[in-house]
Amino acid sequence: MVRLIGTELKKQALRPRTWVALGFLAVVPIIIAVALKLNPPDLSRGREGARYFYLATQSGLFLPVAALRVMSGFFLVVVICMFAGDAVASEAGWGNLRYLLVRPVSRGRLLTAKLFVAAVFAVASTALVALSGLVAGVIAFGWDPITIPIPGLSQSTGDILGNLALAIVLITWGLAAIVAFAFMLSTMTDSSAGAIFGAVGLYIVSLILGQIDSLGSIRYGLPVQYYDAWSDLFASNKFTDDMWRSILLQVPYVIVFCGIAWWWFHRKDIKS
Amino acid sequence: MTETAVVAVRGLTKRYGRVQAVAGLDFDVLRGQVCGLLGPNGAGKTTALRMLVGLIRPTAGEARIFDRLVRPGVPELARVGTIIEHASFVPHLSGMRNLRLWWEAGGARWEDADLEGALAVAGLGDAIERRVKTYSQGMRQRLGLARVLLGRPELLLLDEPTNGLDPQEMRAVRELLRRLSDAGVTVLLSSHLLAEIEQICSHVVVMDKGQLVTTGTVRDLLAVSTSAYFEVDDVETARRVLAAATGVKRVTDESPGLSVELDGAQRSALVTALVNAGVAVETVTARHQLEDAFLGLVGRHTERHIGKGA
Repeated sequence: MVRLIGTELKKQALRPRTWVALGFLAVVPIIIAVALKLNPPDLSRGREGARYFYLATQSGLFLPVAALRVMSGFFLVVVICMFAGDAVASEAGWGNLRYLLVRPVSRGRLLTAKLFVAAVFAVASTALVALSGLVAGVIAFGWDPITIPIPGLSQSTGDILGNLALAIVLITWGLAAIVAFAFMLSTMTDSSAGAIFGAVGLYIVSLILGQIDSLGSIRYGLPVQYYDAWSDLFASNKFTDDMWRSILLQVPYVIVFCGIAWWWFHRKDIKS
Repeated sequence: MTETAVVAVRGLTKRYGRVQAVAGLDFDVLRGQVCGLLGPNGAGKTTALRMLVGLIRPTAGEARIFDRLVRPGVPELARVGTIIEHASFVPHLSGMRNLRLWWEAGGARWEDADLEGALAVAGLGDAIERRVKTYSQGMRQRLGLARVLLGRPELLLLDEPTNGLDPQEMRAVRELLRRLSDAGVTVLLSSHLLAEIEQICSHVVVMDKGQLVTTGTVRDLLAVSTSAYFEVDDVETARRVLAAATGVKRVTDESPGLSVELDGAQRSALVTALVNAGVAVETVTARHQLEDAFLGLVGRHTERHIGKGA
């Protein structure tokens, strides 16, 4: 199994598209840092998101938080869905899936390895945004702690770094249902674009439905309803109930989507 | 199944809704045989091969390799080398990287692969380090054959293995298959090229519309129907003489000569008859033998099929 995971990791790591996507994720925080350095934000005229940019100029340690806040809403979702939606479908699209299966590699082991690799690249993508933001932020704005006389906002360097690590986990796991859906679609089609856009579509539809108050309690079961809860780490410096809800809400979706993927792939006739 | 059957197929059936892709297929391939799988497009050859390696689940019946019921991922597949439809690879990786990752995906150590033998077959030289997406179809097919041979397989299941190859490469593949067969490797290959099957194979399985038409040795199949082609100085007289001869089924014009479908007559006897009738024989060839036999078998099968349906 370790050798199989190794081959799948190399296959993904050596793909030009992977480097383009990761490069994009690494560059955007640097662009944000440069933009903030050249044009420091005015908190009094800013919208809701401007607070993160303002805090980033107070301490470079906060720049990754601002970058994650900006990118976790869409770009990061697309990239993570790409790794999951590509997993099986691209192999089928290349016509290489049948040769892996007759090697022989059992279908269950292949799915496990591919899901593991998709998860590794999902975590790496989120971590890369944070790391790139951290380096760019520290260079541009230093690493002083945040000292604002509002409870929760003032955080030591250790608090910020600890919360940042926790945020990476929460953001990535907060997309687990969407990733599992992309993975499920990937086992059903030879078109990785279809699987990726299908999953991004589910994310967008969930966001839209989450805005409709008249749906009542149904909204609280939508897969990304509590996705943004991680940002409370930097507003209250506490692990809130919404963060727990975000974590637990993913579990049934992951079980169902991965279960369908396993069931489907084991029954599937491989014609590609 | 006999003791030495490497491939045993019994009642193998695959339906897609109302479409019967393969219907009750039965045949054996014994150890060391080179068996051709023949049939027109849509006969079900590729579907049958896919069921033999566990890529497609049969609707009914069973396939066995090395006396083991074929299921997806059955370990005996490690003893089988397979090319189905065409050789495919991860396009952004080099030929060498593709070979290595494929080999290691099975849990084996790269050092245990027969890399030297495989690279000799691929004959790609420095191009083995280039990305596969820059390869021609022929290069991919050769790399596919190399991949097949990495594990020193005991059974080869090859679907159109010479697809995309030039005549020189096709000849090299035929020689390779002969060498492997001499070394005891069992081969089951499908091909549209009947001359290729005739040159390589000792046995054939003929399919049409998903059904088995016949199975046996190539020699047996040729005995079912053979034909000869005559070029003579007097076509009209020759046609009369040949049509009247015993053991001749049909005489048809095939300018500039005559094509004669034989039903027991010896070509030498027909030449004697023509000479005795004062006809000078310039050319006699026994050509398109397997093609004639194949077309005759499939044609009769189609007629029966239509007759049943009527």
